[in-house]
Amino acid sequence: MSREPTDADRYPTLSDAGRAVLMYMTEHPHAPVFRNRSGNRLLHEEVEGLRDYERNEGQAPFAWSPGVTPPWLGAFVAHVHAEVPYYRSRGLPPSFDRIATVDRGDLAADVARFVPDSVSLDRLINFRTTGTTGHPLVLPSHPVVAGRYLAYHKRALRRAGITLRQGRGDVGVMLLGMQRTCFTYVSVTPSMDESGLAKINLHPDDWRDAGDRARYIDAMRPEVIAGDPISFAELLRLPVRHRPTALLSVSMALSPSLAAALQERFACPVLDIYSMNEAGPLAVYDEALGGHLLLQPGMFVEVVDASGRPVAPGETGEITLTGGFNFCLPLLRYRTGDHGALVASGEGPVIARLHGRQPVRYQTASGSWVNNIDLTHALLAYPLSRYTVHQYADRRVLLRLAPGDVVHADEASASLASALHGAEVTVVPLAGDDKVLQYTTDVPEGLTR
Amino acid sequence: MSMSNGLPLEWLLRRLIDVPSDFLDPPRRGREGRVHVAAVVNDMLTRHGETTPPALLATLSGDLVGVSAAQLTLSAVLAWLLADERWLAAGAVPSAMPALFTDAIPALAAEADAARYVFEADRREELVRTVLARLALLPEGETAHQAADRLASVSGVERRRLLEASRAAEERARAIREALAAKAAAESADKWTRE
Repeated sequence: MSREPTDADRYPTLSDAGRAVLMYMTEHPHAPVFRNRSGNRLLHEEVEGLRDYERNEGQAPFAWSPGVTPPWLGAFVAHVHAEVPYYRSRGLPPSFDRIATVDRGDLAADVARFVPDSVSLDRLINFRTTGTTGHPLVLPSHPVVAGRYLAYHKRALRRAGITLRQGRGDVGVMLLGMQRTCFTYVSVTPSMDESGLAKINLHPDDWRDAGDRARYIDAMRPEVIAGDPISFAELLRLPVRHRPTALLSVSMALSPSLAAALQERFACPVLDIYSMNEAGPLAVYDEALGGHLLLQPGMFVEVVDASGRPVAPGETGEITLTGGFNFCLPLLRYRTGDHGALVASGEGPVIARLHGRQPVRYQTASGSWVNNIDLTHALLAYPLSRYTVHQYADRRVLLRLAPGDVVHADEASASLASALHGAEVTVVPLAGDDKVLQYTTDVPEGLTR
Repeated sequence: MSMSNGLPLEWLLRRLIDVPSDFLDPPRRGREGRVHVAAVVNDMLTRHGETTPPALLATLSGDLVGVSAAQLTLSAVLAWLLADERWLAAGAVPSAMPALFTDAIPALAAEADAARYVFEADRREELVRTVLARLALLPEGETAHQAADRLASVSGVERRRLLEASRAAEERARAIREALAAKAAAESADKWTRE
C-alpha cells in the first residue's frame, strides 16, 4: 500500500504567497467543488532547471526538415536501444527507416518495457489517457516533464505576440473540463513566481449554483484559459466578462467556426494546440502557414504509410514521432494514430491537413448530450483493451469490443446505457484494422462545430 | 548499442587454434609461472591505441590471491585473439576491450580452463562468440538474432547471464508498474494543458 501524499509532496517549494493563492482559489465564495488533489511536485533546483529549459527551448531552431533527419537522431537511437528494454530486445536494424514502428497498443500491452533503465522510480508520476484510438493508457512521467509543457506553450504564445505577465498573487491559468466526471484541483506554477493554477469542471454538478461558473472565472481573472472544444463551447454559453490574454485549446480538433466565435467573444488569440499525453504540446495551428507548426525541436516527426515507410513531403500519412522531452518514455517511431502531411516553412516543419481528433457528443435517451470523455469514464471500470462507440441517426448505440473483451459485454453495455440515460446499446465484436476511429456518430449535431 | 558485421567466424576460430603454445604456459603468480599476463594484455591494448586501466593491470599482475591461474591464462589467450588489426577494421572499439578481461573472462574461466577454450570446438566457439557479442560485432553473415541464439546455445555462461538479466528485467518492470500505481503517481503533476 503506497503512502498517502501530503501537501509537502505536492508543493515542495510553496511559500506563504503561494499558499495564499491556493486558499483564494479554493475558498472563494463562488468556487466549485475541487474533487482531487495534485501539485507541481517540483524541487527548488528543478524550478531553476525549468527556467533554463524554457529559455533554451523557446528559441531553439529545428535542425531537421521534411525528408532530412536531425543530426541528433543516431545518438538518440543508440541511447534508446541501449537503455530501453523493449527496443534492446528487438535489436537495432541497419538504418533508421527499417526500425519497426510502435503504436498505442504496444504501450498499452506493457508500458514498463518502454521506461529507460536509468530512470529512477522514486518520483515517477503517471498520466492517464482517455484515448481516441481505443487503448486506455497509463503513461510514465515525472514532475519535471510536466513542468516542461510550459516551455512549449510559451513558444506558441510568443508567436502570437504574447509574453505572459502573471506573477505572485495572480491566477495564471485555468484549465476547463466539461464532463460528468472530471479531475479538478488547484496548484501553483513555481517558475511563474507561484501564480495560481485551477483545473475546474464547467459541468453544473460541480457547482453550488450554475451561475457561479461565470462569477468564479471573473473573480479569478486567469491570464490564460486552457480547455478543449467541448469545454470552450460551454464557456461561450456563460456570461463571462473577464478577457484572458489567450485561450489554449488541446485534445481535440478545434473547428474554425468555434475558434472564430471564441476569438470574437474574448478578443484574444485562440491557439489550437496539437498535443497528446505521449508527447506533450507538439504543434500550434497557424492559418497563414497552412497547418500546425511544430513546437519541439527535439521531436523528429515523420509521416508514414501503412507499412511504416516515410511518404514524400506533402503526402498524407500517419504522424509518427521520435524523440521528445519525456525522459521516462522516449519515443522511437511511435505511430500516433493521427494523420496529416509534413511540409516545410520558414519557421520549421508544419503538419498540414491534421485530422483524427474530432470530438464527438452523444444524445442520451432523455435528449441531453454527453461527450465521448464521459463514455470513456463509463467504460473505465472494465479492462477493455480496445473498443469503439458509434451512434446511429435513430440514436441507437453500437459498442464494438475486441474479441478478447467480449466477456465484459453485458456489464460494459449496461454501464454505457446508464451513461446515455437508457439508450439502446448493442454489442458486437471488433474486427480488422487497429486504426479505427474510436468515437463516431451519424447524428449531425454530435459533431462539435 | 549498434551491432555491425563483422568478422568471419572461421577465421576467428582458426586464430584461436593457432595460439602460440607459450600463451598456455603457467602464468606468473607470485614467484611461480612464466607468462606475465599483465604485460601481454598491455601490449595488445597499446597496439590498438588503448591505455590499460591501472585496475586491470593490478588484476592481471599475478599478485592478487583472488585471481586464479585459469583466469590469467584465459586472459593471455584472449589477448592473442584480439591482437590483430582486423578487429578494428571490423568496427571494434578498443575502449570496450578492457571490460572483456574484467567482466567476461572471470565467468568463462570459472567454467573451464584456457586449454579447453582452445582445443574443444564448442568452447572455442563460445569464447569467440562471447568476445564478438561484448564488442557489439556480429559474425559475418549472421543477423543479431541468429548470433544471440547461437551464443546462448553454446554458452552456459551466456544462458545464466540471460536468465539473470531476464529476472532483473522482470523485477524492474514490476517495480515500474508498482511505482505507476502508487497514490503519488496517480495524483500526477501540473501541466498547463490536459490532453
